Amino acid sequence: MKKLLVLLGVFVVTVQVQAQALLGGQVTGNFQIDAQVSKQDSSIGAEDVPQKLLSNVFANLLYTNGGFSAGIRFESYLDPLLGFNSQYKGAGIANKFMSYQNEMIDITAGNFYEQYGSGLIFRSYEDRNLGLDNAMMGVNVKVRPIDGILLKAMVGKQRYYWDYGKGLVRGIDGEFALNSLIKGFEESKTRVTLGAGFVSRYEDDQTILANDEYKLNLPLNVGAGSFRMDLAHGNWGLQAEYAMKSQDPNVLNNYIYKWGDALFVSASYSKKGLGINLQAKRIDNMGFKSERTATGEMLYINYIPAMSKQHTYALMALYPAITQVNGEMGIQADVTYTIKKGTLLGGKYGTTLKLNYSQIMSIDKQALNDSTSIGQKGTDGYTSDFFKVGDELYYQDFNMEISKKLSSKSKLNLTYAYIAFNPVMENEQGDIHYNNVVVADYTYKLNNKNVIRGELQWLKSNIEYFDEDKRSGDWLMALVEWNFTSAFFVSVSDQYNYNGSKNHYYNVSVGYTHNTTRFQLGYGKQRKGLLCIGGVCREVPASNGLTFSLTSSF
Amino acid sequence: MKKLLVSAFALLLSVGILNAQEAKNYPTIPDNISVKSLDGTTVQTSTFHNDGKPFILSFWATWCKPCLRELNTIKEVYEEWQEETGVKIIAVSIDDARAASRVKPMVNGNAWDYEVYIDQNQDLKRAMNVVNVPHTFIINGKGEIVWQHTSFVEGSEEELIELVKKVMNGEDISESK
Repeated sequence: MKKLLVLLGVFVVTVQVQAQALLGGQVTGNFQIDAQVSKQDSSIGAEDVPQKLLSNVFANLLYTNGGFSAGIRFESYLDPLLGFNSQYKGAGIANKFMSYQNEMIDITAGNFYEQYGSGLIFRSYEDRNLGLDNAMMGVNVKVRPIDGILLKAMVGKQRYYWDYGKGLVRGIDGEFALNSLIKGFEESKTRVTLGAGFVSRYEDDQTILANDEYKLNLPLNVGAGSFRMDLAHGNWGLQAEYAMKSQDPNVLNNYIYKWGDALFVSASYSKKGLGINLQAKRIDNMGFKSERTATGEMLYINYIPAMSKQHTYALMALYPAITQVNGEMGIQADVTYTIKKGTLLGGKYGTTLKLNYSQIMSIDKQALNDSTSIGQKGTDGYTSDFFKVGDELYYQDFNMEISKKLSSKSKLNLTYAYIAFNPVMENEQGDIHYNNVVVADYTYKLNNKNVIRGELQWLKSNIEYFDEDKRSGDWLMALVEWNFTSAFFVSVSDQYNYNGSKNHYYNVSVGYTHNTTRFQLGYGKQRKGLLCIGGVCREVPASNGLTFSLTSSF
Repeated sequence: MKKLLVSAFALLLSVGILNAQEAKNYPTIPDNISVKSLDGTTVQTSTFHNDGKPFILSFWATWCKPCLRELNTIKEVYEEWQEETGVKIIAVSIDDARAASRVKPMVNGNAWDYEVYIDQNQDLKRAMNVVNVPHTFIINGKGEIVWQHTSFVEGSEEELIELVKKVMNGEDISESK
């Protein structure tokens, strides 16, 4: 580990010096080191770690010279942190690319990240904290032939840990800004952008049995297309995207031959001090991966986020919404309102109110005929009435937040949430959990350099504690944090499952930041659970011990 | 072997530092990366400037509490800052499809007067080596990155504006915290 770091340092500095001295241009980069020491703790379900020390390391180097750039990313997982897939085990150059760009063209060879529209048919992205990276390996071209037109084309395979998925992924996309293209429309208050994309996957044939007698006739090419628009008129905005996917029998949909489709609509109105956003979506059989038989979070070609607010307070994030790619219908309403300062409710500094509501339901599914069950392997699966909402509630969240600056030294944030969570989203059985969560977050500035922040959180659940999940029951949490400027902090917290397992999850952490270098050391217990970002989740096992993190960019 | 490596590392590091001190060539912000404005228009990063004056570039996300604290804290003094120094803030959201359409209502609802863009594919984030948000840059009149910092606590906005004033006076702030 130490040797590795020294080598890494030598490498970074050498490349930097050499490149700058000999070639001109500039070298920038960043790195992140996370290490963990965890010991066995049967009360919270933390298992023994025979390696004692686990670590994940990332180092990106980026060289740019005019329109030319090239980059490599070194990654090591020796061995991977708890919760990261063991297939990550190893070290090496994970990503590499070269690209050239000017005002008209942008071409990348090697690894690239790209997204068409909102990602309903294609999004390659990474999220290090989730251990998710579906970077493409291939060629990506973007062309702007005239002002207002952006055309994209790509071909490649998706990263699968240290390997690539079997499927070949190809795509084209076009985006047209009508204001630039139509004479006399340039200065209009109405802005219109239209777009369309198409992505296809090729994968060799394989033998998958429908039953004891028949082998499935698998489509080798699967296509997905989408149309989208983005309208803005002064304070108003409307965005919509509709996508369809051809027959794609795969392990996620139990090898059914039904076409998939997805609709996403968002409308907003906002002016200074008030913002309103309404969203609706419908997803039907849209799990799209570059391998038919792939499960887990890797190899997704498209991206379908959960339609709910992403909570950041620990107890509010205890029961997160998880996207159901096989079918869900959701709505969300979101309001942000700032009460002016100098008014009765606004007080001396003004008050900000946030309201958010989301509800996610199943879609309607009807059997094809009397002799075929819903979703039966090798059939068209089911029929579904597009506008009919299904019977099952997956997730519901009503939350409100009041942020108020009380004086020149103190701020208070009060948040309340009512969250209904159906364990079926995690493929678990059981009753729906109904939770009430309250959070108070108070910041006090002692002087220009010292800031104290405290959090109190309370979660009340309707579900009696059951042993194996380590989550049910009622919780209390307290956190105190002292900051000395933005350079140094110490924080102490405890999550207490007081009506349930009676477990305490205490944590102490200290951090130091100098410009872009951040160092953090923590000691304590981590609850087993889901780490979710954008509706994509990763199971994190319980741990008890030390964590160390160092990030820097240059 | 290990000793050799360590000394080689130290040597190279010192060469690196010497090199940096002689040249003092700051990295510049990338030119041809596309981001979206709040009305859906594609904008190239080559248009990021403040008429020869420095500006602040801040990466944030709707789900990032310290980011919202930073932008809300600066909101209260932004008018003052602009009158005093002419500084401008460009706030780049890295939100993906889950919350990208909530960015504009949130910006207006919070009454922020910043220039806001959305970097949904995170091209700019990667090109500028941003690992975590908030990540704040000071860019001088020539488009050079003269200072950058991650994390925010109340009070650090005062350091930030002091640094901007120094940049306006032509001082070198690369060694400042």
